[in-house]
Amino acid sequence: MTVLREYAAGVTQPTLDGAGGGPVRYDEVVGPDGALRTSWKGMAELAVALTPADLRRVDDDIVRALADDGVTYSRPGERAGAWRLDPLPVVIDAAQWAPLEVGLAQRAELLNAVLADLYGPQRLLADGVLPSAVVHGHPGFVRVVARSSTHDPRPLVLSATDLGRDDRGEWRVLADRAQAPSGLGYAMENRRVLSRVMPELYREAGLHRMEPFFSALRSALLQSAPGDLADPRVVVLSPGSQSETAYDQAFIASALGFPLVQGSDLVVREGWVQMRVFGRLERVDVILRRVDATWSDPLELRGDSQLGVAGLVEATRRGRVRVVNGLGAGVLENPALLPYLPAICERLLGEELRLPSLPTWWCGDADGLEHVLDHLDTLQVRRVDGAAVDLSGLRRDTLVAMLVAEPHRFVGQQRLPLSQSPTWENGRSVPRPLTLRTFTLRYGSAYRPLVGGLASLVEDGLSIGSKDVWVLKGDPVVPDQGLAEVLPMTNTRASTGTVPRILEDMFWFGRYAERAEDLLRLVLAVHAQADDYRNRPRSTGAAGLEVLLGAITRLAGPGLRAAGDLDAEFRSVLLDARRVGSVSHALDGLRSALAGVRDQLSLDVWRAFGTTDRAAQVLESGSVHHSHQVAESAGRMLTGILSLQGVTASMIRDPGWRMIGVGRYLERSLQVVHLLAATTTVRRGLDVDREVLNSVLAATESAVTHRRRYRGSVRPGGVLELLLTDRDNPRSLGFSLAQVAEHLAALPASTGSTRPERVVADLVAELAETDIATLVAIGGESRPNLEVFLARCVTQLTRIADGVAEVHLTTGPAPRPLAALVTSLEAVPS
Amino acid sequence: MRYAVRHTTTYTYDAPVSDSLGVAHLVPRSLPWQRVSSYDVTVTPTPGDRTADVDYYGNHVTYFQVTEPHERLVVEGAGEVDVAAPVVPPAPLAAPWETLRPLLVPGAPRAWAATDLALPSAQVDHPAGAVEYAARSLTARRPVGEAVTDLMHRVHADFDYDKTATTVTSTVEHTFERRAGVCQDFAHLMLACLRSHGLAARYVSGYLATQPPPGKPRLVGADASHAWVEVWLGEHDGADTWLALDPTNDQAVGDRHVTVAWGRDYGDVPPLKGVIYTEAKRSTMQVSVDVAPLPPDPDPTGDPS
Repeated sequence: MTVLREYAAGVTQPTLDGAGGGPVRYDEVVGPDGALRTSWKGMAELAVALTPADLRRVDDDIVRALADDGVTYSRPGERAGAWRLDPLPVVIDAAQWAPLEVGLAQRAELLNAVLADLYGPQRLLADGVLPSAVVHGHPGFVRVVARSSTHDPRPLVLSATDLGRDDRGEWRVLADRAQAPSGLGYAMENRRVLSRVMPELYREAGLHRMEPFFSALRSALLQSAPGDLADPRVVVLSPGSQSETAYDQAFIASALGFPLVQGSDLVVREGWVQMRVFGRLERVDVILRRVDATWSDPLELRGDSQLGVAGLVEATRRGRVRVVNGLGAGVLENPALLPYLPAICERLLGEELRLPSLPTWWCGDADGLEHVLDHLDTLQVRRVDGAAVDLSGLRRDTLVAMLVAEPHRFVGQQRLPLSQSPTWENGRSVPRPLTLRTFTLRYGSAYRPLVGGLASLVEDGLSIGSKDVWVLKGDPVVPDQGLAEVLPMTNTRASTGTVPRILEDMFWFGRYAERAEDLLRLVLAVHAQADDYRNRPRSTGAAGLEVLLGAITRLAGPGLRAAGDLDAEFRSVLLDARRVGSVSHALDGLRSALAGVRDQLSLDVWRAFGTTDRAAQVLESGSVHHSHQVAESAGRMLTGILSLQGVTASMIRDPGWRMIGVGRYLERSLQVVHLLAATTTVRRGLDVDREVLNSVLAATESAVTHRRRYRGSVRPGGVLELLLTDRDNPRSLGFSLAQVAEHLAALPASTGSTRPERVVADLVAELAETDIATLVAIGGESRPNLEVFLARCVTQLTRIADGVAEVHLTTGPAPRPLAALVTSLEAVPS
Repeated sequence: MRYAVRHTTTYTYDAPVSDSLGVAHLVPRSLPWQRVSSYDVTVTPTPGDRTADVDYYGNHVTYFQVTEPHERLVVEGAGEVDVAAPVVPPAPLAAPWETLRPLLVPGAPRAWAATDLALPSAQVDHPAGAVEYAARSLTARRPVGEAVTDLMHRVHADFDYDKTATTVTSTVEHTFERRAGVCQDFAHLMLACLRSHGLAARYVSGYLATQPPPGKPRLVGADASHAWVEVWLGEHDGADTWLALDPTNDQAVGDRHVTVAWGRDYGDVPPLKGVIYTEAKRSTMQVSVDVAPLPPDPDPTGDPS
């Protein structure tokens, strides 16, 4: 039986035990007669033929594709988890979509007019159309923006509306999102993945592509700039890579070709918002914000915010920057507005409200409160400020007391059954309820909804996955998004890898990638040595292995050697993220650095993690601990890391790329110096030394060169020459330092005499004067000259790293409240 | 009475501040009973940017940004104010207090505007203690003037004036526990008492005359910024009517009170707040307020009532 047939049979046949169990839901795919709904008719043949095996493959492909693209979503307080996408889309045909589209456009127009009134003349309040307490009692009403000196005719540029269906299939508005709506990036990513893994179905559907909407968004943002600028600068303001929708933000920035910045990247000067670019300040004209208004300006809003820009409110009041959406837009997210929208629509637009909202009663109104108290069992009580307070567990009398004490803070809402849709779970499709997020853009003189959307699968009020939303064309000649005239986007890569924070992430990108690579090579070399020793125990093997494990400890911190289990130690070096210096730790650092500059980089970087994660999983889950699995997984992880070289190779040679180079070669220098310090400074007999040196050569990718040059005779002098002074060996200290010098010199803040440049030059000169024969000179059991030299290298390399941070990566002190440092008496009005 | 007012705030840092942004509520409002002349805000070092604006509540507000490095920031508001005692006609004072609750009578004239000041605010929540405490003054059908004046008397009698009992961020509950505070705490407490029963009331930031007139006692709160409350008495003759009470001194606001700004609570109208960028570790702040009586206006034509 195919998946959809089984699903249709399941949802149309009343089950014996479940009769009357859940609410009656409208099914998105199957009609009451068991046949596919009309929107699916065009694809019926393909869709109905899908077998569980097909969907299992598609589901695997989706998981892999999302992991390769690094698509994450995190709930507040949780570590970022993988984004989930169901294989079957929500399909809406042209006839069903048309009224929704008109309704959404009207709604955005209306919400914009509401904002303009609430932050202007407030006629809605004065005339009693909207109760004053709905507005004044909501934290989204921002009084510092509500001044007669401020006038923003179009405070709403991009809004989102969440919809759900009632049991008859009619769409109802659940909520409006106007502050900083998220989800467009996820919607686009869903489409990209689904079109790739279900190409036949996608082709057959004849749906609206989404790209023209992004072009329209880009042009709408450019046109939002104040005044008449030829080349306005637009940025996307993010709360940072720890944000729950960080992926979405970076995707939008990258797709639109605007830099993704954080509050610390911006300053206000003379009422203009400026971006720090290499010590210069460059003006910013439009900010697409993903930071909530409360956190946007420590001067006039929350004083303890580090996410905002001090003076931003003043800049917007003066019309010197345009914030999208306006800082006051959060007031629209109040569910207590819903019962008044029909009357407001009549008043402001002179029209009837087209899209009905979820039936809602505001408790601040006496009749509303009475209705809610009379229907507490059937209604859902919510706070108007959207605070995540769980009211469901409260005792009835506690809840009643809360409502009566502060009625204006609560609404009661009818529970909507929501429609259901087949959702792939454990090898079959089961019905799950869903909501639909839509997006509406002010484009030119009118509001245009995205023809498409983002569907969320919900369980107990939480999103458990997503679905792509396919809106079909009534006629194939209809242009995508109904936007024929939009120019395709050109130049969509943000060209500014420039603010210090971005350079810092690039620097650590280089360092962590190199650290992971070098450690993996070392683990592979040592593991081979260990295998060799385990198979053919010899007297020298144990001693050599001991030295090599010491090198690992030096680079990756103390581990599990006490346990005497070699493989446990290898696994720890590879997998233990809490072990500072482990491969896993380096990968986490790398991931976090890359997350901060996601918009700057090709999506291919996330593919590297897809590879390393899968390799780590195999090693972690291996029930039988075969030793060869260590080498196998380490090898795969190395493949993943090496693929990053391909990404950087095709990057624009801008300062961001230069900074990756500085980080990479600085780290390589440190790694080779530490490796040599751990392996070559003490003499342990010819045979042991030879074993160790061979592994060092293997770990530094220099074995072949060495063999060719020295014909198999492995001596410390030759190895040191190859790894320290040979400027043609890309693994040597000399080569790496030359690279650091070259990249540093190309950075805009470099003058030729900055501290890091001087220390690099000194070290290069010192290396040039170094005589290998002197270094290898023997003093008792050790090589004292070499020991001193390597220790000095570590010191100098550390100074270079500090200097780079000081000259290139500092953003200056963070903003602090005026009174924060005051140690004497505070000025309390008395 | 005419006064020369000077309010100076000085911050001194142990290392340079590269950038100071500030917002000041230092210029008194022009009111039917208060005339403001030649008033100015001076910032040293001279700000690279400054603007004067009027905020949501109609207060004068000054925005400035100093971008030259400095180890000392001085912000001074100074000028002349001619002030008379505000007069409230008897009729509004006689209305039963229950008729003046904007949330319960949203259709009453101007109730929509007063609603903002009847709701809890960031620094004035409505603890149960406030409801209970105020209930003894706000008895059934009592004339509003009498009821709120009684509340003021009780606050003055029950709470000690104590500068060590409080900080700028003290909560209403804290004041109830300590049974002590300063003018700001008493104002917030009064607001919580009034609003938790549905009345609309606002926080007023201002000054008191420094030297008492001959024969009158020196008032508490001079030499610093002062705070009191105003209670909404509804709309009369086309305008909102307010009763201004100073719980710290247990008296109606008179011609020794200079009104600077009002809002929901202190947070809407601090005399000065700001953001600095610095590596400094410590700073000291000095505040001085001087409200000196002047001879009567030589040009009495512009004398307010």
